[in-house]
Amino acid sequence: MSKFIIQVNGAAYASSASYNAYRFAKAALESGHEIERVFFYQDGVLNTSTLNSPASDEFDLTKAWVSLNKKYSVQLVNCVSAALRRGILSQNEAKENQLDHWNMEEPFEMGGLGELVTGIEAADRVVSF
Amino acid sequence: MKKVAIVFRRAPHGSPHGREALDLALLSASFEQEVSLIFVDDGVLNLIKDQQPERVGAKDYISTFGALPLYDVDTVLACEESLLEYDLEPTELTIEVEKVSPSMITEQLTQVDEVLVF
Amino acid sequence: MNLHHIQTSAKQDNALACCLKYMGKQDAILLSGNGVNSLLLPEWQERLADIRVMALKGDVEARGLSQRLGHYTVIDYDTFVQESLKHDKVITW
Repeated sequence: MSKFIIQVNGAAYASSASYNAYRFAKAALESGHEIERVFFYQDGVLNTSTLNSPASDEFDLTKAWVSLNKKYSVQLVNCVSAALRRGILSQNEAKENQLDHWNMEEPFEMGGLGELVTGIEAADRVVSF
Repeated sequence: MKKVAIVFRRAPHGSPHGREALDLALLSASFEQEVSLIFVDDGVLNLIKDQQPERVGAKDYISTFGALPLYDVDTVLACEESLLEYDLEPTELTIEVEKVSPSMITEQLTQVDEVLVF
Repeated sequence: MNLHHIQTSAKQDNALACCLKYMGKQDAILLSGNGVNSLLLPEWQERLADIRVMALKGDVEARGLSQRLGHYTVIDYDTFVQESLKHDKVITW
């Protein structure tokens, strides 16, 4: 069995790359492989907004990532600086920036690019979308 | 430690790809990874000197290319065909790069452990 | 031996052209997303003729291209996972 790190650079909904990233991660986990973490970079951070609200009969990618975390305890990590630039904040960053609102919460977490780098080092394979 | 190649293939300032590629390159280098930078296609336009990204509300990451030696990033390759396509002479570039053939880039992409394209 | 992953069509982005220029002779290409559309164009069918090319099944079916692309190797996500491990690395352009 192998260990992957998945890098998601495409936005939720605006790009098909993020859906394929989710399906790849799910297939890898279901085949018994391990995912060191899913790292959201560039527009990929837009996958993690809890305000993403597709119609009830449409696929909800943000919820799908959450369900992957619930079932397999996969770490879902944002690049914090890429996220802040794109309006994705946790309660913590909202406080630091004196803002009243935030849109990212557990199981998504904020991290640094270092977590991508250490993830690449620890994993057998990085796959980017 | 892994050998990581970061490929710049897009033009600067139209999108944040170049900036976010350089952020990752420097961070990887500071985490003691063996980082190489490869400029191909429109990516060579990142190398033009005297750029003023702030004129279009963009961050001036171009000047940060000058810091690569401080991070011990010694391998900076640019495709000679892409440079020729845009008629870019070494004197017009903001940093010193190694002009290489496409096959040498193929070789570099084969040698390293991981490749991330921006 | 690398697996090159292309998510955009040749009309939309230079990713495929760029990949073809710098890939090794033994490398393979996986087309996903709009990337599968490149296989509809004679110019790109020709340029890809001597390369091991795969297309992601979901993306082919979503676009109604199963018949048109019937002679290409179409793979599901499980096979994508296996292919990513068979190759030395995956390069997403």
